[in-house]
Amino acid sequence: MSVVDESLVGRILDSRPPEPRYLLPILQEIQAAFRHLPREALLAVAGRLKVPAARVFSVAGFYKALSFTPKGERLLTVCQGTACHLRGAGALVESLEKRLGLRMGQTSGDGRLGLESVNCLGACALAPVVTVDGDVHGHLTPEKAQELV
Amino acid sequence: MNHTHRKVTGTIDGRKFEAPHGATLLDTAKGLGLTIPTLCHHPGLPPDGNCRLCLVESGGRLLASCMYPLRSDGEAFLTASPLALEARAFVLRLLLARAPNDAYLLGLAGELGVGADPRLTDGADGCIRCGRCVRACRAAGSEAIALVGRGRERKVAGPFFEAPIDCVGCAACARACPTGHIAYSEEPRSIWGRDFDLEPCPLCGRPMGTPEELRRAGVENPVCPACRRREYSKSLMGLPEASFPAP
Repeated sequence: MSVVDESLVGRILDSRPPEPRYLLPILQEIQAAFRHLPREALLAVAGRLKVPAARVFSVAGFYKALSFTPKGERLLTVCQGTACHLRGAGALVESLEKRLGLRMGQTSGDGRLGLESVNCLGACALAPVVTVDGDVHGHLTPEKAQELV
Repeated sequence: MNHTHRKVTGTIDGRKFEAPHGATLLDTAKGLGLTIPTLCHHPGLPPDGNCRLCLVESGGRLLASCMYPLRSDGEAFLTASPLALEARAFVLRLLLARAPNDAYLLGLAGELGVGADPRLTDGADGCIRCGRCVRACRAAGSEAIALVGRGRERKVAGPFFEAPIDCVGCAACARACPTGHIAYSEEPRSIWGRDFDLEPCPLCGRPMGTPEELRRAGVENPVCPACRRREYSKSLMGLPEASFPAP
C-alpha cells in the first residue's frame, strides 16, 4: 500500500462543503491526484462527508474512471465502440498488447504505462481511435498505433 | 380536497378496487386477495423494483407493481395476462440463473413451466442482487454493506471486500435476504466473517442482541422484548409478580 499524502487528501476535502452530494467530485479529484483511490483516502472521505464507508466503496467501485489500484502515469485508451470495433480496434489491441507486453486493463510493473479500453469516445468518424492521456489519435493502423508508445 | 385523502378507483384482473391515492398496485392487489409473486419486496422496507418478478400488464405495458403508485382513476391491470406471464417466466429464468436452488423460485418456475437455463447458471451463488439486505441494514440504522461493482461482477460486500467495519452483527440483512444467501450464526453470533458477543437480558438472562446493536438502538438499560412486555403489563395493572407466568 502506498504512503498517502494526507495533507493532499485534506486539501481536497477542504475545498468543498462536507456534504454527501460532493462524494463523486471529491473521488474524482483524489483519483486525479493519486491515480487511484487509496484506502486511507476513502476512509477519510467517508468520515468527513458522514457517508457510510460501504456507500463510498460502492460509488468508488461503480465508475470505470475510478480505480482501486494505481493507473499508469501515461494511459493508452483503446476505443472499443461499435465504429472502432468494425474499423479494426481488435487489431490495435493486439498490436499494443504485443508491443507493451501488457493485457488490456493492466499497468506496467514500474507504473509508468497503462493500457485500457473504453466503450465509446464519441469520435466515431475518426475510428479506430486511441487516446494517450486524453489526446485523441484517429484513423489508426496497428503500425501507427505502435508509434504512440 | 386534501391529496392524501383522495381515493383512486380502477380494476385488477377485472375486479374493482378503491385505494388511497398513491397506494402501490402491489398492496392494492393484495387487499383484493390477489397474489403477485415478489422477491425483492419487503413490506417494512422501501421498494426497489429490481427483481422484476412482480411485473403486471396495463394496456400492453409492463409495470413493476411494487413500485407503481395508483394516481389516476380508471386504470385496468392484469396480473396473469399472457404478456405478464411471459415476462414473469423470462424474469424467473434469469433469477434462477443466480439462485438455481431457491425453493420459492423453483415453486414459481414449476407453476409457469420454466426451468433454470443451464447456459446462464455459470457463477450462480444464490444471491439475486436484489439489495434487500442493503436496504434492511440501512433501515436498521447502519449501512455496513452495499452492492459493489457492475454487471456480472456486482455483489453485496463490505468496504474493500472485507468484513464490514460498520456491522453491528444484528443480522437484519440475513433475515431480510429472500434466498437465504447470507450465511450467519444466531448463537453464538457470527456474520460477514465477524464474531459478536451477545448481551444477556438482565431479567431473564436470554440473549437479546449484540452490544453494538443495543448501542445503535440507543435504549437505556435494555431488556428483551418479552420481559419488556411483561414489565409494562405489570406496571399498567399493578398486579403481583405471581400473576405472570415466568418467561
